[in-house]
Amino acid sequence: MPVIVIASPKGGAGKSTTAVLLGTELAHAGAEVTFLDCDPNGSLSLWATRADLPPRITVLGDVDESGIIRSIRSHDRDGSVVIVDLEGVASRLVSRAISQADLVITPMRATTLDATIGVRALTLIAEEEEQLDRAIPHAVVFTMTRAIRSKQHTGIEASLAGQGVDIIEPALMERAAFSALFEFGGDLRSIPRQGNMEGAQENAGAFARAVYQRLGARKQAA
Amino acid sequence: MTDKPAFSIDVGDLKRRDKADTPATVERLDRAADTLGFVERSPRKRRGRPPSPRTGQVHAKVLPPVARQISAEAKRRGVQQGVLIEEAWALYCAANGIDPEA
Repeated sequence: MPVIVIASPKGGAGKSTTAVLLGTELAHAGAEVTFLDCDPNGSLSLWATRADLPPRITVLGDVDESGIIRSIRSHDRDGSVVIVDLEGVASRLVSRAISQADLVITPMRATTLDATIGVRALTLIAEEEEQLDRAIPHAVVFTMTRAIRSKQHTGIEASLAGQGVDIIEPALMERAAFSALFEFGGDLRSIPRQGNMEGAQENAGAFARAVYQRLGARKQAA
Repeated sequence: MTDKPAFSIDVGDLKRRDKADTPATVERLDRAADTLGFVERSPRKRRGRPPSPRTGQVHAKVLPPVARQISAEAKRRGVQQGVLIEEAWALYCAANGIDPEA
């Protein structure tokens, strides 16, 4: 525990990047992290082959619809974090993964198209909460944002917040270092310098801390 | 760059929590997901071995002892009888200067 599911039926929303940033930052902060790569494109598995995995990280690939619940349960144990990365489609695999989640994160670019399709994940979560008779904590994180916030971003954020959707701050900005993780593997401390690395580390670290706080952490140290 | 974590995790905070996973629950979830368009998308696997590419028929009528010998040899090698005919044809082509690709 906890099981964090990264879900959006929209492709290209930044799910795998969000998963890698979150997992590597949580591992850097001391957690044991298991990635379940459920995306047939194998983005996480590709990342894992680029370089030695950072300490405390395990990556398991080829998890399909029939095995998703079993895989999550077999790695869901005290003191560790399971991060499930899903394909950007509306599938039964997504719904089964969400049913085992302690937190669902929906990455979303600040565009109307991403928001429109991403909201389908939130609708599914609401339906599963009803079926399971338990709350499934969930949050949206905006991805690939720019330093100057667009009107569209502000409008979408206000609309989601108005509907009671939890929005993780900070958003994950568009950074060369984030996309370079899939070129070099490893984490933000091991890859060759890409632009403003300090800014990238600070952004990713603050995002992971915000997620950790949502997991009901009792305390944190700066 | 710094190696200092932005925060530290107390692994004692990370507790496992039981979640519903009975077949009945999963079936109910699947039905609910279906209505929202989250449908089964896993590739269907065909049962049994894949179809053989050897679908051309030659209708060769041979004497019973030859048929028995071809059958026994194919069984011994674990191949279809057509494989032996293909090999025999390749030898015939080589012996008579026929291009089998033509």
